[in-house]
Amino acid sequence: MAMPMRRTLVALQRATYGNFKNAEVSLDVQHPVPLFLPVRTKKRYFIPPAVGMKGKGEENTEAKARAAGIVFRQQYFERPINIACTAGIFDPYVPPEGDARLSSLSKGGLKQRTEQIRQSAASQLAIRKIKEHDSEFTTKDFSERAQEIFIEAHNCLTQFNKEKLHSLVTERCYPEMTRGNRYKTICWRFLESLEPPRVVHARCPDMVSKGNLYGQVTVRMHSKQTLAIYDRFGRLMLGSEEQPKDVLEYLVIERHLVNPYGRWRLHGKIVPSWAPTKDPVIKTVMIPGPKLKPGEEFDALNYSVPKPEAVQWNK
Amino acid sequence: MLRAGGLTYNPAGGLQVLGGGAQQLSCLHTSASLESKNWERRNLKVYPPQLPNEQRRAAEIHHSRRQIKYSKDKMWYLAKMIRGMSIDEAIAQLEFNDKKGAKIMKEVLLEAQEMAVKNHNVEYKSNLYVAESFSGKGKYLKRIRYHGRGMFGIMDKVYSHYFVKLVEGSPPQMEQKTSFDQAKEYVQSLKNRTIIHGL
Repeated sequence: MAMPMRRTLVALQRATYGNFKNAEVSLDVQHPVPLFLPVRTKKRYFIPPAVGMKGKGEENTEAKARAAGIVFRQQYFERPINIACTAGIFDPYVPPEGDARLSSLSKGGLKQRTEQIRQSAASQLAIRKIKEHDSEFTTKDFSERAQEIFIEAHNCLTQFNKEKLHSLVTERCYPEMTRGNRYKTICWRFLESLEPPRVVHARCPDMVSKGNLYGQVTVRMHSKQTLAIYDRFGRLMLGSEEQPKDVLEYLVIERHLVNPYGRWRLHGKIVPSWAPTKDPVIKTVMIPGPKLKPGEEFDALNYSVPKPEAVQWNK
Repeated sequence: MLRAGGLTYNPAGGLQVLGGGAQQLSCLHTSASLESKNWERRNLKVYPPQLPNEQRRAAEIHHSRRQIKYSKDKMWYLAKMIRGMSIDEAIAQLEFNDKKGAKIMKEVLLEAQEMAVKNHNVEYKSNLYVAESFSGKGKYLKRIRYHGRGMFGIMDKVYSHYFVKLVEGSPPQMEQKTSFDQAKEYVQSLKNRTIIHGL
């Protein structure tokens, strides 16, 4: 909105000395010349600051600051990064088909057990290497410790205790556990362990340079848990509080062996290809349909929803 | 305005009282009014889990767009038009409206609908209605408008914000009062007149 005002842009004229009336200049030099000050010297116009803005020279400000005595900290273009965990699971353990369904006493179960012992040649080597660095490593104690770490980590997740969660879970696993959970409420309970946890697999990969050893141990756990996830408004999204579920899990625990302050932390989970499908979310979800050419119509009767392949994947 | 101790302006936190007593605190406001994004912050509120016998809480999604190059008064007309409509109806009306603000508002509503389905666990994208919709003044740029005879005026380059709140569910029906009902009410109010403190 433009409001016409009475004041005028006479400032430019005032810059010239034409308006000033000087008194008679006397020949006597001792008395100072009385200057008649012009009456109206108050600035009565307004120019918005945006008018005078032209790009200021950037070197000026820097030079001025240095001249004034301000000292800048030295800027480094490289920054050291400390990597404390591997990026994935090396040589993942392939859980045998029907692991939890056959008991060890049946014929199928015995075959599975023998296969497992045969597989573990590389694992024994890895365990020996781990024992070099960490002398108190035993498979029996470790499996119990692994279960404790697992329970603690999930309890921290329910309370969103970030600092403790970082110490129990590696940097690779942390975003996978916490993504999308910030504005949700998670209620998780560990009821009991159905079978004692067992170490099934171990590997000792080295990253980047030789000798930079990380130890990855896979622990098999069969337990009863309840999980209920509520969304931002307190409505149930997934699972239920009362209904417990039997869960067979393969956890991967990792530690940076060369680092004296390294700790055993949860690194990921292995989901076998024969795992039963999870319960669906309590919500109807739209799946994107097939891409149609112009002129084609979508045939709802003959269209079958494509199912994902049954592949083992690491989480 | 009385001064208590010394009042200084701190760009981060509004006015601050230096030393002095806390006698004249009535002129103190503590929120920085220039960059506060309170409307967006309402999306971050988390409610505790509901018990199974409670009624399912309706999802609320707050969305806004800042510094739209349009007048807030002109935007108000469109905002008032879609108040209380279901989201499909609102989008349809804005699509065929000729104003400049209608196109921008339609984009905002579509963004909010997508956000609702993806992030806020809304099941059906049509099951939303516009609960609140209003416009606000953005930060203006000032320029000179030249008039004749050396006169000038300060021209404002006008910007506005637009805020919308979508709620899950079907839009609430406004009670329609017929003229006969209104007349009946009027006659009843006349009949209810009494003389107070009378015999």
